[in-house]
Amino acid sequence: MLYLSLAWRNLWRNARRTLITLASIAFAVVLALWVSSMNRGSHQLMVDNLSRFHTGFIQLQEPAWLDEPSLDHTLTYDPALQQQLLADTRLDYLVPRLETFMLAGGAEQVRGAMVLGVDAAAEQQLNGLQERLIAGEFFQPGDGRAVLTEGLARRLQLTVGDELVLLGQGRFASSAAGLFEVAGVVRHPLRELDNQLVYLSLPDAQWLLSAEQQVSTLLLTPHQLQQTDALVSSLRQSLDAQRHRVVPWQELMPEVLGAIQFDLAQQNFVLGTLYMVIGFGLFGTILMMTLERTREFGVLISLGMQRYRLSLVLLLETLMLTLLGVLAGCLPGWLLLRHFHHNPIQLGGDMAQVFEDMGMGLEPILPFALDADLFITQGLVLFVLSFLICLYPVLRVLRLDLMTAARS
Amino acid sequence: MAIITTHGLSKVYQAGKVPVHALRDVDLSIEEGEFTSIVGPSGSGKTTLLNQLGGLDRPSSGEVWVDGCNISALKDSQLIDYRLRHIGFIFQSYNLLPVFTAAENVAFILLLQGEKKDRIRQRVSELLTEVGLGDRMDARPRELSGGQQQRVAVARALASRPRFILADEPTANLDSQSAMKLLDIMEKMNREHRMTFIFSTHDQRVIERARRVIRMVDGAIESDQVQQPEPHQA
Repeated sequence: MLYLSLAWRNLWRNARRTLITLASIAFAVVLALWVSSMNRGSHQLMVDNLSRFHTGFIQLQEPAWLDEPSLDHTLTYDPALQQQLLADTRLDYLVPRLETFMLAGGAEQVRGAMVLGVDAAAEQQLNGLQERLIAGEFFQPGDGRAVLTEGLARRLQLTVGDELVLLGQGRFASSAAGLFEVAGVVRHPLRELDNQLVYLSLPDAQWLLSAEQQVSTLLLTPHQLQQTDALVSSLRQSLDAQRHRVVPWQELMPEVLGAIQFDLAQQNFVLGTLYMVIGFGLFGTILMMTLERTREFGVLISLGMQRYRLSLVLLLETLMLTLLGVLAGCLPGWLLLRHFHHNPIQLGGDMAQVFEDMGMGLEPILPFALDADLFITQGLVLFVLSFLICLYPVLRVLRLDLMTAARS
Repeated sequence: MAIITTHGLSKVYQAGKVPVHALRDVDLSIEEGEFTSIVGPSGSGKTTLLNQLGGLDRPSSGEVWVDGCNISALKDSQLIDYRLRHIGFIFQSYNLLPVFTAAENVAFILLLQGEKKDRIRQRVSELLTEVGLGDRMDARPRELSGGQQQRVAVARALASRPRFILADEPTANLDSQSAMKLLDIMEKMNREHRMTFIFSTHDQRVIERARRVIRMVDGAIESDQVQQPEPHQA
């Protein structure tokens, strides 16, 4: 208590200097929170969009599928497999997909298209696909109707009620051809996929491709996304590796992971520079506090205060200064991030176009993450920084010559 | 009974490449209850001797014994603890902690010693009342005059019930009235509690009130005289 009291009062000996230092720490915290929250939010949105609409968070595949995604390498999707997978309570639900490439044609145009046989209810649960309908409705299982993405429908000059011809190759080189009515049109958030997707119900796709009970990928969705890595590990242990391959999103989209890591490296460089500037500011304050009190340190040691106790007081002073600065930054930072978390910045004009053109699951908005670890990390980094800075006065006290201090 | 003795105490500083002999082979003995002034011109070694007696500096050669303990041989942390428990210090420029009140400055030493809070409160109150500052206990140093600050410093030096008090030019920054009042207090402590005081001073008023005067020249003791102190005229 004595040391806390002494440290606290020492802090306010020069209130103006302390307030300026606090303001600089608080400003750095707000800026660091802003940058890291915006980056985290963008990355989360990108991964979330790509995972939900494209790869899923975890995929179960036939082992050869990843290298050769052909209908000859599909999984048998039967109740036994479902039961085995859902026995793990961390797993929420399964999303089966049967995927291939075919020629899609309307009355006037023909284009290459990705045909995706889906369980509409499971897709709805994963990505709210039906809410992206801009015309018509979704099909029912096995009703012989299709849903097109907006870009593909435009290219094929098809609309709701028109007929769609699909022509290609089924399982084991069988020929596949079918005529489907266009039930609806959806606007897909991923630009690349918006120009090439045809959704069929899973039973229709299995019939078209002669792949009864087969799926090309089974998307596994955990209750909590943070459990993804742990779930992948335990599934890899429990499933037969000869028959099933478990792949997390990071392996399915290595280019996205690479882009995120590159982005994080840039962010860390910027934040590192910011911390360095703040560190020198803090060091300046601590240096002044130390130099102007050298004589006093000498007196305290002369009177009988052990050097380590005096060092503790100095450490407390630095930690208090940092703690106050971090708190002063975290509170407005939290309010700011909370606002933008609920009201992401909408980009317009050319900037929005740039985002859309980049693909990779980016939408023309700047979302902000509000994860607790963002705040904890700022606190920890600044505490480590203040601890390092505090080494200077501590070393000075440990080496202080009383005669030199008395003359200072 | 001698509480402090020095044997062949020498201190040599290096001023660049030139050795400066601040103390030369000083043999000294201080008895319990003495009221002693160490006097001499600037550079004569008064403060250096005081620093050696207080364990603030280490001798180049020789020893300082306090109550049968060779403090020159103690490790740094042992020496700090020794000072805390056995020696009181009064500095020329008071050196109170500016962030503490008068009472807290006195209590600080007792807190370092690990005394209980109720005993600390009582002792602080007694001491500050004894030095005439019972009504200024909550004042910060900047709210006190120089004389009052030095009286707080005396109370602080007495707080731990030390074996002796070392005072380095205690009246140098005080006006005449404050200096006399301070001397009165220290004399009273010496008389009533047999507290040993050792001053380094230039101040003739202090020298006249001392019962023993050790005169130093060029780092050596030139004379050591016991005298009848002049009565103080209030």
